Amino acid sequence: MSRVRDRTEDFKEAVRVAALSHGYTEVSSTPAPPHPFSSAYGRKLNDPQFIALRCVAMQAQLAALMSSFIIRKLTPKSPFTNAAIKTLESIRELERFIVKHRRDYVDLHRTTEQERDNIEHEVGVFVKACKEQIDILKNRIHDEEKNGNAKTWLGTRDESSRLDLIAHQHGVVLILCERLHSVTAQFDRLRSMRFQDAINRAMPRKKIQKKPEIKPAEPSKSNLVLKSDVSKIGDQEVSTAPMRVQEQLLDDETRALQVELTSLLDAVQETETKMMEMSALNHLMSTHVLQQAQQIQYLYDQWDCGLCVSPVTSSALSQAVEATNNVERGNKELSQAIQRNSSSRTFLLLFFFVLTFSVLFLDWYSK
Amino acid sequence: MALSLRRKQLDVIVRMLHLNQQQLPNGSEGQGEEEAYKLLVMDQPCVSLLSPVLKVGDLRRHGVTLTLGIDRPRQAVPDAPAVYLVRPTPSNVDRIAADAAAGLYASFHVNFSTSVPRPVLERLAAACAAAPPACAGRVARVADQYIDFVCLEEGLFSLAQPRAYVALNDPAAADADITSLVDAVALGLFCVFATLGVVPVIRCARGGPAEMVAATLDARLRDHLLAKPNLFTEAASAAVVSFQRPVLCLFDRNFELSVGVQHDWSYRPLVHDVLGLKLNKLKLPAEKYELDDSDKFWITNSWSPFPKVAEEIEAQLAKYKQDVDEVNQRTGGGGGVEFNGTDLIGNTRHLMNAVNSLPELTERKKMIDKHTNIATALLGHIKERSLDGYCDCENDMLVNGTVDRNTLLSLLKGKGTKEDKLRLAVTYLLSFETLPSSELEHVEAALRESEVDMSAFQYVKRIKALNTQFAAASGTATKSNIVDWAEKLYGQSLSAVTAGVKNLLSDGRQLALTRTVEALMEGKPNPDVDDYLLFDPRASRSGSGGQFKGPFREAIVFMIGGGNYIEYRSLMELEQRTQPSKHVIYGATEILSGAEFIHQLAELGQKAGLGGASSNIPPGAAQ
Repeated sequence: MSRVRDRTEDFKEAVRVAALSHGYTEVSSTPAPPHPFSSAYGRKLNDPQFIALRCVAMQAQLAALMSSFIIRKLTPKSPFTNAAIKTLESIRELERFIVKHRRDYVDLHRTTEQERDNIEHEVGVFVKACKEQIDILKNRIHDEEKNGNAKTWLGTRDESSRLDLIAHQHGVVLILCERLHSVTAQFDRLRSMRFQDAINRAMPRKKIQKKPEIKPAEPSKSNLVLKSDVSKIGDQEVSTAPMRVQEQLLDDETRALQVELTSLLDAVQETETKMMEMSALNHLMSTHVLQQAQQIQYLYDQWDCGLCVSPVTSSALSQAVEATNNVERGNKELSQAIQRNSSSRTFLLLFFFVLTFSVLFLDWYSK
Repeated sequence: MALSLRRKQLDVIVRMLHLNQQQLPNGSEGQGEEEAYKLLVMDQPCVSLLSPVLKVGDLRRHGVTLTLGIDRPRQAVPDAPAVYLVRPTPSNVDRIAADAAAGLYASFHVNFSTSVPRPVLERLAAACAAAPPACAGRVARVADQYIDFVCLEEGLFSLAQPRAYVALNDPAAADADITSLVDAVALGLFCVFATLGVVPVIRCARGGPAEMVAATLDARLRDHLLAKPNLFTEAASAAVVSFQRPVLCLFDRNFELSVGVQHDWSYRPLVHDVLGLKLNKLKLPAEKYELDDSDKFWITNSWSPFPKVAEEIEAQLAKYKQDVDEVNQRTGGGGGVEFNGTDLIGNTRHLMNAVNSLPELTERKKMIDKHTNIATALLGHIKERSLDGYCDCENDMLVNGTVDRNTLLSLLKGKGTKEDKLRLAVTYLLSFETLPSSELEHVEAALRESEVDMSAFQYVKRIKALNTQFAAASGTATKSNIVDWAEKLYGQSLSAVTAGVKNLLSDGRQLALTRTVEALMEGKPNPDVDDYLLFDPRASRSGSGGQFKGPFREAIVFMIGGGNYIEYRSLMELEQRTQPSKHVIYGATEILSGAEFIHQLAELGQKAGLGGASSNIPPGAAQ
């Protein structure tokens, strides 16, 4: 379905022709080179043997040129790109896994709850692994940039030569993030379908609950109506006895229903809390990835508008990068401080303990 | 087979982005992963070509990490392939060769937006041959994409060739300029048809630029069809072809000048005219908006008159508030703290529904806000320029053929920018065949009072005057000679203008364009269109075969010299009105608003030396 005209063959042909003519013009322009030994050399240059040599050299060059079209030299990819490609492959793997098990997961009667939990767990692990890979890639960009910053004492010149490369790498990470996000969103939809099923299965019980609720209400209403009717009719002696029996029956019924209600209520509360937890996790997975994507996008946009506006915006980006670095370092320091705090506390306790025992010992010894 | 220009253009671009490798719909297997992350380098015209069709997020989905301009200083990204999409100019080609020699990227996939002419290709080849051998080897692919048109919507495209009208009607224009412009237009149309993959039947009026463009396009298509396989071989076989071939109707702006300048009262033409909508992007002083197919309110309401749009916004806002209240009631309300046991499950479910519907609600709110801001800005402008008065007056003149002289003069003396007054005056000129000169004097005096530059007015007056002079000569068939080019133009516009005026006066607000297109599509004998020329690239040159005149199911209408959303709307209405529904695509060399067109007319007037007192209207900055 090609609406495109491929001109590559034309181009190759034109290159060949151009190369030939290029060699030809070189050969023909050799007669007067500015050379110290021109007099002796000049004779030699016009020598037909020399011209033949040049022709051979030209032909070799031409052959190299044409072969470079056919045998494309595969430049080795940077380790970053290799890692990125591997991550993409693993995300695709995840997608294939979800698609394969989609029917098992959603359909009510194909699998048990246990198997569904298994699938969820595996997907969760996979997603975490992918996310870690993406984090590694992101850190690698920061590290490379920092190294670049540290090494270059020439300053901006070297940085600007890596601007596009760094922006490209940010773009790669962003693409990966978005892919992961779309895949997890897909999975979350399946999950919400599962929850809907779970709720629906709980719902019929609710409907039964509602009906007994209405029934105790209605019998009591009908009680009142009956009583008023009876009082209106005035035939109390005859109808009170069977009425009282009816009342008794209705009371028993209501009590039994209330007991059932409370037990069901407990079960429902349990399922509800579980579902809240699951829905929280539900959103956690996709929002976490989305957050990360947004983070990267923010940095990337800084790159993008920076690149569009002016070529040297490394300061803005490095500031953002440094800010995140600072925050990370701050976190580390805090955690270290907390650790130290707790360790110092134990040391202090030990110290006092030992002191107390030594005082006691000395006391006993002096006796 | 509905022709969907935008989708086809998108397909071509996506295939280009995937480096023309076979890919399955989900891209799961078989996609070359080594080339998964690429860079896209474009020049400015191609950026505007791509922006209505693909957004940056979509680009990322197809694996493009960075979009760079070809003229900016760029640095090396050694392990990524680069896709170039540029126009085939020598300077672009030099840049590409320099990049290849410097080895900026791993491989180069060079795509030209139209066909690359032989000399330019040889220039690229020479530059690559002169560099070390590895350089040429990096150029993996050179292709002609034939997508050099801006597809604003499914049925609307523009060739982004500004000031075509000025160049064509310039009395001082050299023949070479006109020929090159005609060639450029023909090339753009060829790109459109190459993307659609059909060979049309071309119909155009006699004389004038339409005929020239038709002849050039016909020649180009014929040449191209001679080579096999060509871009059109996927089309159905010749036997079935006649039923599915569309008709290309070429028109010149002089065919119906009044549509170009009039004020309109519907939402979309108003936004385009007053606020300046370009490439589906709107820039207000406060912020930027994007108005395209993804905006549901825009699609449903673009052709409604402005008051109705305001009502719709109100209604949507009320509905939104209602929905939000309902959500709040179900989840917030009282059920949060006290655990009413029986309501618990219902609560959870409502909570989940609410959480799911929140993003949708925020989207709706954003859309409503956007349109409220746009409508407010529009309202401000309308009040300031009393555009409603202009619209009513012009409507009266064009549809009913009556003019209330007092309103006309009061409007000319009252509020409104100079362009508005000029437009009203020009519409007045064009609505009536003969005007009492006293009236004309009054109008001109009013214009001069408001210090309006008279060049455009005089220019249109002169066209009309020349038309009446050539009234007798219009019947005779004269051969189209570039030397007699000006006379052809005026002669054709005479018949066109009077025909247009007649139609307008008699038939209510149906544009002459629509009627002609309808007649051409039906293919029945019709005095209006019988003398239209017919070009059929697939037929043999001797023209022995019967000429296929219709009926056609699909039509592509092209306006040389500047199109308009008003014409687009009337064509859409035609599409919906006919049974069975026909499909019409509308295109122009550029989409002009009324103000821009008046600028071009003024410029022409000045070039013709008809300038009035002051020449302080800046040269037309059309897009």
